[in-house]
Amino acid sequence: MVTVLIKAGGSLTEYLKPDADAYTRRVEARAGETLRQILESIAVPPGHVAAASANGSLVALDYVPKDGDAITLVPPVQGG
Amino acid sequence: MVPGFGGNTLRIDLSGGTVTRAPLDPAFARAWLGGRGYVDKIVYDEVPRGADPLGPENRLVVTPGVFSGHFAPSGSKCCFGAVSPLTNGPGDSTVGGHFGPELKFAGYDLLVFEGIAASPTYLFVDDDRVELRDASKYWGQGTMDAERMLKEDLGEDVEVACIGPAGENLVTCACIGHDYGRQAGRCGIGAVMGSKRLKAIAVRGTKALPVHDLPALKASTLEIMKRTAQHPNMAPWQKFGTAMFIGWSNEHGVYPAHNFQTTYFEPYAGIDGQVLVDRLLVSDKACFGCWMNCGKYSKVSLPGRDTVYVEGPEYETGSLCGGNCGFEQIEQVAYVNWLFDRAGIDTMTGGGMAAFAMECYEKGLVTRDQLEGHEMRWGSIEDLEHFVDMLTGRRGIGDAFARGYAAAAAEIGGGAERLTCQVKGQGMSGYDGRPSPAMLLSYMTADIGAHHNRSWTITMDEDLGRDVLTGKAKVVVHLQHIRPFFDTVSCCRLFWGEVDVSDEEHIEAIRQMTGWHDFTLEETLLLSERIWNLNRAHYIERNGGPGRKHDYPNARFYEEAVPTGPSQGARLTLEDLDLMLDEYYVARGWGNDGNPSREVLLDLGLDACVANLEREGLIGSLTAPLPPVRGERYKPKAF
Repeated sequence: MVTVLIKAGGSLTEYLKPDADAYTRRVEARAGETLRQILESIAVPPGHVAAASANGSLVALDYVPKDGDAITLVPPVQGG
Repeated sequence: MVPGFGGNTLRIDLSGGTVTRAPLDPAFARAWLGGRGYVDKIVYDEVPRGADPLGPENRLVVTPGVFSGHFAPSGSKCCFGAVSPLTNGPGDSTVGGHFGPELKFAGYDLLVFEGIAASPTYLFVDDDRVELRDASKYWGQGTMDAERMLKEDLGEDVEVACIGPAGENLVTCACIGHDYGRQAGRCGIGAVMGSKRLKAIAVRGTKALPVHDLPALKASTLEIMKRTAQHPNMAPWQKFGTAMFIGWSNEHGVYPAHNFQTTYFEPYAGIDGQVLVDRLLVSDKACFGCWMNCGKYSKVSLPGRDTVYVEGPEYETGSLCGGNCGFEQIEQVAYVNWLFDRAGIDTMTGGGMAAFAMECYEKGLVTRDQLEGHEMRWGSIEDLEHFVDMLTGRRGIGDAFARGYAAAAAEIGGGAERLTCQVKGQGMSGYDGRPSPAMLLSYMTADIGAHHNRSWTITMDEDLGRDVLTGKAKVVVHLQHIRPFFDTVSCCRLFWGEVDVSDEEHIEAIRQMTGWHDFTLEETLLLSERIWNLNRAHYIERNGGPGRKHDYPNARFYEEAVPTGPSQGARLTLEDLDLMLDEYYVARGWGNDGNPSREVLLDLGLDACVANLEREGLIGSLTAPLPPVRGERYKPKAF
């Protein structure tokens, strides 16, 4: 198992249901699971994720998180 | 004088060489707020309907709104507006940076230019000293060089807004540059500035901006700063800016590739936000009063080219000058960004025009002979560089492109019109509407043509279903009323949209700035609707009716299916577009012909529009009862 901290704001917060702090949820996942699979398992719709970063670098949803990763999800830009 | 404002206006008659100062009318300030509110009211009232947008009767209106210059979330914006030579309707474009605040610090809320100067001129505003000066030394210079030269001559503390050679040559997609890489890009306002032989406006402001309740404004802004600094979206926005959405846009199949032929660009990983940061980033860049610093200042080195510096590419440039033109490397996209910035061309319509030319070349509609022996291949820097040179200098076929999409298509022939990805002459923003129907409806009904920031609906399309056509028009109307708020008060919408600074926090900040204790969100929404209807009336008064005939994109968007990628097979028909327009016009209180009704115009206090439209036989007839409130907020969050 790996433990990842997933953080999200804006419209994603209500899907994420943070528990560690106002924006962060601690998630236990099976080693080898992709970020997309992890999000689906906790009912965060991947379609609402416009960008994701792992430890500060942009990653795709097929990224396989490592133990201790800090993942940030960003909802779609609202016109920029 | 109303606190929160600079307090003064300037009217500059370039033909006569005179400058007239007058105090800002408090009633006018409350009624139209600033920014595009002032622009749209002034051009409606003052520009004769038959006047050439590039003639002396057009007005160039420059105006920072109430937020600009304040210690509040990103009060940085300044609006430039006129009758647009690109759309032949009311046009405005807003730029961040530091120009708007500097105008306020000099004591000005509104500059209105009219006439045409006898020779190249710039306006120097040095607090109370305002002078028209000879600009022949700067004429012909690119936007960044002209800005640098003016700062060398006038002082580094001067803020400059200027045009490049494209504006001087009346290229209809010319922009106004500021702060070495920010632009008032849309609507061709740079060409209006060029038509007046106004090279630049330089401003030094050293005064304090009066605030009704400064302690309260400071306290609430500090609280917002602390809160948003912890917001999860803040760090990615600070690090990558809008360029981080290139991947999302591709994976969701809404990214424009090869002149919107498809909506997925396979090599997108070579031009996304991560490679921008990894390979080009010199430093982050922020507008006045902003701690999001989403601007990325980049160093670009391409083989055989001088190393150049550019702000960007942000998302729109990364799409319209990226995959839309077939460029696969971030260095190429950034270089194209620089080419357009230097010439003073909007990267959005400019990128769209270049892609249009590339597809015409691919299909044999534009030849080497027309391109002075050059080609126009997807992803070729050499070809694009030459095209920008022809466009800027208005040479050969470049002159047709310089006059806009319709002129270029007419000159090219062979059915080129269907390849012009635009509405009302404004090139489409970097999202394809076929897989996102409400987004296409937003483009179709926007007052300035196909521009994304009038209403952005892709999240709603995802939620309600991409194949669902009905039930969305009311939300588009609501969004079209939310967005003008930011453009009238001159603050950046990213704090609202991305890090959850609320509507009410923005409204409360205005109360603290101005002392307007009874100021409400409802008042701003009503103003937005008034602006929207005023502009609709203006557009059809200038371009004839019925309004509906102006609300269609080129045929690609209702005759061609998306051929590849995640949205493969997505297509809309003309009947689909008409269904959405029918619903939209009812939601707006307009006739089925797309003309505003007498009832809605009178409800909004636009009696002059009623008289003008009735005189021309352009008033709409309601087909359903007038909705008491036009538009409907989308839950859970109104984007």
